[in-house]
Amino acid sequence: MANAQTIARKPGRGLLVFKWTLLGPLFGLLLFILPAFLLQLYFSFHSWTIYLGSWWDAEFAGLGVFRDVLTDSRFWWAALRSLIFASLSTLGCFVAGFALAMAMHRPFRGHSLFYAVFILPMLTVPVVIAYTFEMLLFQRGPINGILSTILMTNVNVTWLAQPPIAVFTVIMLEIWNWTPFVFIIMLAGLSSLPPELDEAAQVLGASRWRIFSEVQLPLLRPVIMLALILRFLEAMGEFPKTWALLQGGPGSATETVPVYLFLTTWQYFHISRGAAMSYLVLIFMILIVLLGIRLLRREKQTIDAIHAKPGAGE
Amino acid sequence: MNRRTKRRIAAAFRFGFLGASLFAVGFPIYWMIITSFKPDNEWFTWPPIYWSENWTLDNYRVVWLGIQARITAQEAFTMQKPLQALKHSLALALISTTLSVAFGTLIAYGVSRYRILSDRRMFNLLMLRMIPPIVVAAPLTLYYSALNLLDTLTGLVIVYVITTIPYTVWMTKSFIDEIPHEMEQAAEILGASRWQTIWEVIFPLIRSGVVATFLFILILTWSEYLLALILSKVDVVTLPVQLSKYEGTTEGRVYGYQAALAVGVTLPLIVIGCFIRKHLVRGFTFGMVKR
Amino acid sequence: MKKARLSRRSFLKGAMATAVTGPWVLRFRGVAEAGPLEDRIIAAAKKAGPADLNGMIWSLYYRNMKRLSDEFKEKAGVGVKDIQDLSIFVIPQRAMAEAVSRSPKIDFFHIDSNMIPSLASAGLIEPLDGYMAEVGYKLEMLANFPSFMKYKGKTYGIPTDGNVHIQYVRKDLAENPEEQKKFSDKYGKPLAFPKTWEDSLQIAEHFHRPDKNLLGYAGLRNRANGVTWWYMNFYSAGGFPFNDDLEPTINTPAGEYAMDIYLRHKKVSHPEAPNWGTPQMIPQFTQGNAATGQYWDGTARQIESDPKSKVKGKFLYGIVPGSTFSGKLVHRSISSPLAAVLVNRYSPRKRQAALMTLYWGTLSNSIEIVTHPTWVFHDPWHAGHMTHPKVIERYSAPAMDAIAKSMQITTPPIYLTGHIEFQDVLGKHIAEAYIGQITAKQALTQTEAAWRKLIAQIGKARLKEDLVSYKAAMPTVDLPS
Repeated sequence: MANAQTIARKPGRGLLVFKWTLLGPLFGLLLFILPAFLLQLYFSFHSWTIYLGSWWDAEFAGLGVFRDVLTDSRFWWAALRSLIFASLSTLGCFVAGFALAMAMHRPFRGHSLFYAVFILPMLTVPVVIAYTFEMLLFQRGPINGILSTILMTNVNVTWLAQPPIAVFTVIMLEIWNWTPFVFIIMLAGLSSLPPELDEAAQVLGASRWRIFSEVQLPLLRPVIMLALILRFLEAMGEFPKTWALLQGGPGSATETVPVYLFLTTWQYFHISRGAAMSYLVLIFMILIVLLGIRLLRREKQTIDAIHAKPGAGE
Repeated sequence: MNRRTKRRIAAAFRFGFLGASLFAVGFPIYWMIITSFKPDNEWFTWPPIYWSENWTLDNYRVVWLGIQARITAQEAFTMQKPLQALKHSLALALISTTLSVAFGTLIAYGVSRYRILSDRRMFNLLMLRMIPPIVVAAPLTLYYSALNLLDTLTGLVIVYVITTIPYTVWMTKSFIDEIPHEMEQAAEILGASRWQTIWEVIFPLIRSGVVATFLFILILTWSEYLLALILSKVDVVTLPVQLSKYEGTTEGRVYGYQAALAVGVTLPLIVIGCFIRKHLVRGFTFGMVKR
Repeated sequence: MKKARLSRRSFLKGAMATAVTGPWVLRFRGVAEAGPLEDRIIAAAKKAGPADLNGMIWSLYYRNMKRLSDEFKEKAGVGVKDIQDLSIFVIPQRAMAEAVSRSPKIDFFHIDSNMIPSLASAGLIEPLDGYMAEVGYKLEMLANFPSFMKYKGKTYGIPTDGNVHIQYVRKDLAENPEEQKKFSDKYGKPLAFPKTWEDSLQIAEHFHRPDKNLLGYAGLRNRANGVTWWYMNFYSAGGFPFNDDLEPTINTPAGEYAMDIYLRHKKVSHPEAPNWGTPQMIPQFTQGNAATGQYWDGTARQIESDPKSKVKGKFLYGIVPGSTFSGKLVHRSISSPLAAVLVNRYSPRKRQAALMTLYWGTLSNSIEIVTHPTWVFHDPWHAGHMTHPKVIERYSAPAMDAIAKSMQITTPPIYLTGHIEFQDVLGKHIAEAYIGQITAKQALTQTEAAWRKLIAQIGKARLKEDLVSYKAAMPTVDLPS
């Protein structure tokens, strides 16, 4: 790992100033935005909705607001929906992305065309995705049309009007949108595998499946972890597509945590409840991140150890 | 079954899969594009019209140039401000991305060479990205309103830089890490200052990486929806927000216009994406992959 | 914080100024009344000084009002500079956000009037009575329709779009002798314009032919709008959502009846109805795919005067069906969203904004808005619209008759502080029941539970005061004459 000792410039005030200049803008911005977080903290301990006078006169509620949120069954349902949405879409992205990366790993004619198309969804604005799929998903829309042609029967699925199907639809949209992300990461991972290992295993007569599961997969673990963690966290916060397409409906089938948070804060204007809720979400996310980071750091250390060249770094 | 047939089956399977994926990915985009060129009586029909015989540029003219067309509802579109939105979106995305990449690269350099952030802090930095924007949107409105930053480009730029800086630091750091330290030692011996070293030695070496990062962040800021919706009013309009306003006319959804706007919103990113696709593979691994 | 105090001070200053100048203006009213209303508004605006206003309004609505604001700018120096262009269904949330930030940026809001209690409680909007008295403007609306603009005795808005729901039945189908015979054979009564929800359902059932692309019934059932239809079922059964002590009273026989009627429409509705809004549903009417339905009155204008309508002259119009559930026949229509212009109290240009609002709201100007040569959103609201030939020409005489009658029986949705949440909670549970996630009974009990929590949060005492304004807006007539 790179290390300060490798650069032999004389330490001193100059260095300190230099270091702080590098960090300065970030600290400045964080300091600038800090009051917003403090205000949020204030709200989560004070009971305020917009109808109750000025916010600075709000009544101190202690942990009351948090208790409110924690006993709110709608919040827990939303959390459950978010977890289902995030896990399934992460899994879907991963399977699809990994499969694509495997198929695209070795070059063939037209490779770059395929590659260019496969990364397109990631470049598409989420709101655009929602509206485009709305055109496609009508009961009498092209997707049912194509399915009808392929399956030779009249396909009449209402993709957005029935709860389980609507959930499936938003999950598919998320997968469509973000598979390229996993695909790119996995492709980079695959191309970093030392080919010698593969050859050696082949010489030893290992089957393709064994080479994959016992040689390639373990080496890819850090990359896989990275893809899964990043994807899961981003999926937990997904809002534009779900909102533009379904606004939490049909019924409450797609009322995920971001949707419920949006409703609480921007439609019901229970700023305090929204603040408390968002802190709970934040804590939950941080727990996931910390867990993820632990895993990631362990993997990264392994990777660094494997790749450490003799003589470099320490 | 000999080896050769086996291989053939594997290849058929592989290309079958690739073909199906190509269709699944390509079709929605194809549909968006073709709808944007269809006349209004073909937007929504049963059976769907997969290939239009009557291509027209009317949708683009109406949406982007504000030209009134024959259908009554269309006149509403002349009220919209797509060109202003385009200008604001471009300015917002370019400014905030430039700042984010500039600050991020410097931090990444500091981390790589001077460890100004410990490993733990580096990971904590990623957390900044993981806070859903809705979480802080409400107090941010109050705070911004007190500072008169609501409905200004500055206000949005600040939030965008903060939310994207974790990615820029992580992405550029993986490029800087690959540069041997001997380069800087040589520069130092030649008497270059620290800033000169960064600018004249390091930057040229990581230029392609910075370009990749820049364009990736551009994608994120260009498509941001929620914060723009909440923090902008009349003086600032962005394309994703503008796009969402095209819903709900009484004539039925105006698919053609929506698609024409959507193509315009997506096109810049697709062009950029084709530009950087090679760099993307490297930039995306956050240092988890070494060559 | 500092800013908010400042604007509060400037508000006080403004209020004082009106208090000082008010009587002075009143003294000269005798003179002022000599000219037509528009001239008095222009004169007052001239005196207030030139201003460029920002409004939160949907461009689809603003289009018809633009010429008048340009004219006002020319004559009085007050005009609209810029609009924040949002859909009418999004504006309530964004206006509330303005109340949170107390920003002076937006001068007027074009918004569902049912937001008045919430926005007034949040301190965002300016009462208009002072300005109205100053120029001699009166809200001339039928029955107690003006009370939809009032809250705690003050007027806060001037309507531009007086939505009521009316009943639509396809004339060519209902008057077809063959269909009439088939219908009377099946139900043992003649096929006539429906008087009750039960009648209406039978007719819908009779004409529901999905294989022939004919919907028996067209009404919204999505989470955002479905609740609007439910209110009509509920109110007509004699229901009212709260008792005088502000206990929720929807988990009652009337509530159960309303749920039952509402859910029975499912089998004559489109399978995608749970996710359809106006953009999908209105074409069902104008393209001739719907046999019956209750819908906003504007659809009648689209049927009758949109060049692309395939069913011009092919509809019967009347008041929405009623119910005999309470022992007598009661009809209840609904006005939601009833779009009105509201003025921002924090704006330094609120005086000019209020006068601009009044200018849009005069009889002749509002006729221009309602009967704009091309297609419009704004529907009649002024008493003078009901008899004006230009308006009648656009809607057809039978539809105009239905609209005027509906004004006598129209209702607001929950007209209380916290409207959005009261309504969204109800709408969510109804939508869940509609797609079978919960039972009808659960929808009622769960809504009541959520409402109790909300009432405790906003405060019972305050809501009891609101209840007076809510009840004042409820109709007194069961069957319009």
